[in-house]
Amino acid sequence: MKFRILLSLCAAGSLSLLTACASTEPAQDTSDYDPLEPVNRVVHGVNGAVDFMVLYPAAMWYRDIAPEPVKTSVASFVRNINEPLNSFNALLQGDPDQAAASFQRFIMNSTLGFLGFNDVASDFGIPYRREDFGQTLAHYGIGGGPYIVLPLLGPSNLRDTAGIGVDYVANPLTWGAQNSDTAEALYLGSVGLTALHYRYATINQLNELQKSSIDYYAALRSLYRQQRNQMIRNGGPSPEFAVEDESASFDFDDAVEAASQ
Amino acid sequence: MVNSKIAISTAAMIAIAAAWSGPASATGLSSNVVAEVAAETSAANVIQSMADQAMNELTDQSLADDVRRKKFVSLMDRYFAMDVVSRFVLGRYWRSISEAEIEEFSVLLQNYLALNYANQFKEFNGEQFVVGDETQKNKDTFVDSQFVRPDGPPVNIVWRMRMFDDSYKIIDVSIEGLSMGITQRDEFTSVIQQNNDDVGALTAALKAKTGL
Repeated sequence: MKFRILLSLCAAGSLSLLTACASTEPAQDTSDYDPLEPVNRVVHGVNGAVDFMVLYPAAMWYRDIAPEPVKTSVASFVRNINEPLNSFNALLQGDPDQAAASFQRFIMNSTLGFLGFNDVASDFGIPYRREDFGQTLAHYGIGGGPYIVLPLLGPSNLRDTAGIGVDYVANPLTWGAQNSDTAEALYLGSVGLTALHYRYATINQLNELQKSSIDYYAALRSLYRQQRNQMIRNGGPSPEFAVEDESASFDFDDAVEAASQ
Repeated sequence: MVNSKIAISTAAMIAIAAAWSGPASATGLSSNVVAEVAAETSAANVIQSMADQAMNELTDQSLADDVRRKKFVSLMDRYFAMDVVSRFVLGRYWRSISEAEIEEFSVLLQNYLALNYANQFKEFNGEQFVVGDETQKNKDTFVDSQFVRPDGPPVNIVWRMRMFDDSYKIIDVSIEGLSMGITQRDEFTSVIQQNNDDVGALTAALKAKTGL
């Protein structure tokens, strides 16, 4: 319980810092801001070691052993357990239609889809969309702030770290886990399955990236920023300003001009 | 039945006739006409012909890895504005090296990308590449395309192109919203920064990777 209060305070504290720099456009970060780089690189290294010893072998085992239908079911379950938060955050972003869709998915998949192991809602034409509190903040124009590599969780930034805190506190399942052993087991199980699923889902790409990159840390940092930008604009095309301004210091126009000299 | 037989043999005749006349009419075209056709080609058509060429040349499983990489490099030469891409991925550091060093870097970059991507074509099996719409934003044309896999959802690829001397060249590729150019620039400039702003460190690392 103390942990929960502490987390709420941390989240509230960083929120008040972040809202100071809010604007009306959804935030799109165009360059890496990493004042904590030396610390981040250390945490990145430790995460890599922990991953190599625990999560990576588990994901490899899961990849090779689990049959395809099991993987599909786990993916559906992991997404379904997140639907209340998706709905909550869509509502906070002023998108009641999406909030209703996520809620509808949750009801359908939890019942007809047997605790979410089958994604029947997608078959009915209601696609999944992930919304978290970091995206909600970005929707109101709050930029990512400094890049942070979280222990165990990996790439994040100040805004999204605050978002993780708020989502944790707002998650009905973590409330339920306080009072019910079943809910607690379900919550812990879902955390484990989520970790396994996401590590498995990214295993090929990350292996490739690790092998091909010269600075794996910097490549991950760039990809995290771009992926969050993408999620914040819900997969839509880059706004005009972000297209031309993708790099604050040097963009494609500069490169074209440079090449023509 | 009789009708369809006649139809088939007519079709065969036409096909044979076309095959015969094909080379003759091709030689009849002057290089002028070819140039004009190239200028009128839309950005989407350029992507389509690149994809066709890549599928033809790179997916042959019997190809040796280094041959495939060479073919990949020559495809990039033809379809990418490599002088622009090279400077873009160096960020503002392109200024700190000489013209000759940029040339050298460009070759290294192409070989580095070939090393990372050319082998992806080796495992092609039943995948399809579909070119979609193009949109104009400021100076650039963005061509949407999809890589359709038999297992799993399709992958969205967007080609950022710009007109140079009347023909479209690729300056960036985004896969599921992740720009390869921006990722590479962020990584490369980080390497340079970590080595006291020395571009030579990056070039050395690329040489080590590519074995050039």
